Amino acid sequence: MRSNRGYAAFLIPGALLSLVVIVVPLLMNVGISFTRWQGVGTPEWIGLDNYTRLLEDENFWASFRNIIFLIVAMAVVPTLIGLVLAAVLFDYVAKEIGPRTASALRSGFYLPQVLPVAVTGIVWGWILNPSFGALNAILTNAGLDGLAKNWLGDPAYALYSVMVVMIWFQVGYPVVMFMSGLQRVDPELYEAASIDGAGWWRRFTRIAIHQIKPEIYVVLVTTTIAALKIFGQIFVLTRGGPGNATLVPSYFAYQNFFEKAQVGYGSAIATVLALIIVVLSMLFLRIQARDEQKDAA
Amino acid sequence: MRLLAPPLNFRVHSRGGRRRRRAAAVAVLAAASLVLAACGADSDDSAGGGDGKTLKLWHYEGATSAMGVAWTEAIKQFEASHPGVKVQFEPKGFEQIRQSAGMILNSDEAPDIMEYNKGNATAGLLSKQGLLTDLSEEAGKRGWDKIGPSLQTTSKYDAEGIMGDGKWYGVPNYAEYVMVYYNKDLFAKHKVAVPTTLAEFETAMDTFAKAGVTPLSVGGAEYPAQQIFYELALSKASRSFVDSFELYKGKVDFKGPELTYAANTFADWVKKGYIAKNSAGIKAEDMGVAFTQGKFPMVISGSWWYGRFVSEAKFQWGTFLFPGNTLHPGSGGNIWVVPKNAKNKSLAYDFIDITMKPEIQNLLGNSGGVPVLADPAAITDAKSKELIDNFTKVTSSDGLAFYPDWPAPGYYDVLVAGVQHLINGTKSPDAVLDEIAKPYNDNLTSLGK
Amino acid sequence: MNRALRPAILATLTALVLLVLSPFALVAVNAVKSPDEYATDGPLSLPNGLHLEGIADFWIRVDFGEKLFNSFLIAGSVAVLAVIVSVLNAYALGIGRVRGRYAFLVFFLLANLLPQEALVYPLYYMSKEVGLYNSQIAVVIIFTAIQSAFGTYLLSSVYATFPREMLEAAAIDGAGKVRTLWRVVVPISWPSLSVLFTFFFIWTWNEFFLPLVFLISNDKQTVPVALGVLQGDRLMDATTTSASALLGILPAVLFFLIFQRTLSRGVMSGAIK
Repeated sequence: MRSNRGYAAFLIPGALLSLVVIVVPLLMNVGISFTRWQGVGTPEWIGLDNYTRLLEDENFWASFRNIIFLIVAMAVVPTLIGLVLAAVLFDYVAKEIGPRTASALRSGFYLPQVLPVAVTGIVWGWILNPSFGALNAILTNAGLDGLAKNWLGDPAYALYSVMVVMIWFQVGYPVVMFMSGLQRVDPELYEAASIDGAGWWRRFTRIAIHQIKPEIYVVLVTTTIAALKIFGQIFVLTRGGPGNATLVPSYFAYQNFFEKAQVGYGSAIATVLALIIVVLSMLFLRIQARDEQKDAA
Repeated sequence: MRLLAPPLNFRVHSRGGRRRRRAAAVAVLAAASLVLAACGADSDDSAGGGDGKTLKLWHYEGATSAMGVAWTEAIKQFEASHPGVKVQFEPKGFEQIRQSAGMILNSDEAPDIMEYNKGNATAGLLSKQGLLTDLSEEAGKRGWDKIGPSLQTTSKYDAEGIMGDGKWYGVPNYAEYVMVYYNKDLFAKHKVAVPTTLAEFETAMDTFAKAGVTPLSVGGAEYPAQQIFYELALSKASRSFVDSFELYKGKVDFKGPELTYAANTFADWVKKGYIAKNSAGIKAEDMGVAFTQGKFPMVISGSWWYGRFVSEAKFQWGTFLFPGNTLHPGSGGNIWVVPKNAKNKSLAYDFIDITMKPEIQNLLGNSGGVPVLADPAAITDAKSKELIDNFTKVTSSDGLAFYPDWPAPGYYDVLVAGVQHLINGTKSPDAVLDEIAKPYNDNLTSLGK
Repeated sequence: MNRALRPAILATLTALVLLVLSPFALVAVNAVKSPDEYATDGPLSLPNGLHLEGIADFWIRVDFGEKLFNSFLIAGSVAVLAVIVSVLNAYALGIGRVRGRYAFLVFFLLANLLPQEALVYPLYYMSKEVGLYNSQIAVVIIFTAIQSAFGTYLLSSVYATFPREMLEAAAIDGAGKVRTLWRVVVPISWPSLSVLFTFFFIWTWNEFFLPLVFLISNDKQTVPVALGVLQGDRLMDATTTSASALLGILPAVLFFLIFQRTLSRGVMSGAIK
């Protein structure tokens, strides 16, 4: 009954922008991945050589293995923690203690996202320093010497340390998103449910989570993608080391682009990464779309 | 439904009214800012267009560093001797230049003269791509080639972008080298004398280790650890090893005496507690700060720390060259380059000339830096004298051996990773040598050697 | 809810927040230390008094006021433009249900999916061609595209659940598509728009990599790029870095605090009945 035709016009500015800024460079990037190039001068066509080299490169596989861990640290854990925190802040703190306290707490959790990445690296370097870092100082003072490890320098712990930093960094984003979504929930629904005898937990899972499904999907997708693309924090915390214990695809690509001046190889890495991200996103979107259809029905 | 419509609209309206005004204000702000940004792009200063009226100069040395002080004076002298010419100086970030130099020099935004990193992967690469001006003629005319031969290595690059022989593409204004800084107070406290041979050095470190003090402050997350590794290799090396390793003049055997000694001894030092087992995660900055805090009696690193220790270390300290070596890591410092797209080249040459004058070089020396053409008698500052005397000792025996990460682009990360394995004990010295040999040899192959 | 639980919950939350904010305390502590103190006592000690010369020197050295202005300009422009583009896109995809909306969504999301390193060389060459290299407009355009990708995705997800009754009511009142957008959709989704605006501003403010590549002249650079000046080849100035970090965060934090009041304003509820 609604004419869907007129709506297409609204897409024009966005589509143009995306085309010029994103799609064209993407295609160029794919093109460069079939060449050997140092960034200046003319690229030299070498076909699929970069890709075959990638498949044999242990750094490449290591970087993707590490990413799986980082997805847990940046998508799964923050979303779960974010849900709980948002619910508590919105439902309990705002109502029982005051909306301003809830806002203040929310801002506190979000602040790590505002700190420049370079400073994040320096500060966490101070905290995790094996000799005189804050963490080990506290552990030693508490008599837990054995737990005072070489957090960023020992390959056994480096990735886990980075994961903790990323949870710290990421948790505020879901909290803000979910709290904003929770505002959409009609309080009448809650009242109706509690009249029916539902406790807080059931109201939370049946109503709140259901209503903020769009936000949950968005948060999961965007944090997963952010995890796949992570670069800045690895750069300042560990530079991908020790060894390749914390190497990630974006940093690996960066090394080739800018430090080794192997732009073709770097483009191949970036193309593979982009492909994986696109496929994953499409999967997510499919699931989300089907879920929405189910709801609408 | 109809009954609800008016309140619906009403509510939307009243909110909409306030929202609309705010939205309109924001839209106006957006438009205004776009216009401003556009103006920003237009008023782009292309004033330095070969008219000989401005010199666009970039460097990334801190204002209080020796180079910063000397070059600020040079700017003053330049403007005095070139009336009507203004120096448009922009202090740059090292990271930005390192990352974007190629892009910048390939565009209209190139400056007239800029400080740039010496080495095959940087200056060599740019010269190969034709982005730098050939300075050979000027170097000869103006006597810049009076600096010693090992300092000239980083100025000249051949057609393949390899340093050593070839045309002049850069001029070093200062030099740097690696030495051992030591805490005199801690040495006295533990009754340790300044070592003169490698054996004495190990004994000294042993004394500290047995007293529960880790002798060396090491930054394993960045460049310092690999420089110690290199020092060890150099203790068994000759000039021809350096020529092979750095300049590809011969084949490098990664299982040869120099590098096997380095790997084995380094691992040994970790085992004996001379190098802390947890130093793989320590950054260079934290390594230096730990030394100034008096936590470690020694730190093996470069002359770039000198000025900082002078102002920040609260204890008596001194330096000595790595005992027993004739070869030491070090080289000419970052070089002045003149981009091909520079608009005021002769002004650039004049400026380089001024920075090479004895007056400026002496100022550099007295401010805690290592000059390339200073008059030793004119160095009056006592601590600087010590620094420069040691350097003269190195250059007079042709002892500058450059740095271990130079031979291949990205080799820095390879070495950091390799040495971290030695510190953590996660790979045997033999395996580490294999690991660092591969990218080196791959690079040689791609160079067609 | 049990009265006794209340202080327990509050205490836990406060402890958590303080834990999360402790790195900031470290930054603040080191920002007012003199380099001597830092060298002698290390980064974890408390400063003896306030040493503000470092900040003052840094401010003058990089002309920080100018950098703040640049950052504000770029982040602000991007935030506004990206929200506008997102709304337009999401309107068509979420409410208009344009055909092929799934493909369009992926197309728009692409901007957010690509690693920035992949885009740099092509964008560099393209911007040189049109003379926009070393211009703030190029940076604004690029980030508008990137941020609006996220905005399109979020908003179209939210708009997909937009109450149909309101749209129909507006249609019955004779509103066309543009009027419905302006008078109904935008006001109701204002909290989401505010969130987007805030995110876009902060994300763009903190962007380092692309401005580093595209903004060459010092007078065009932003705060994060200016901070990079302090990180040398081998030496770093930790106290000034901390000080300038604080300076750099303050505007973003202020912005967030101001705008999050808008986030708290409740959306109209119960109108559906």
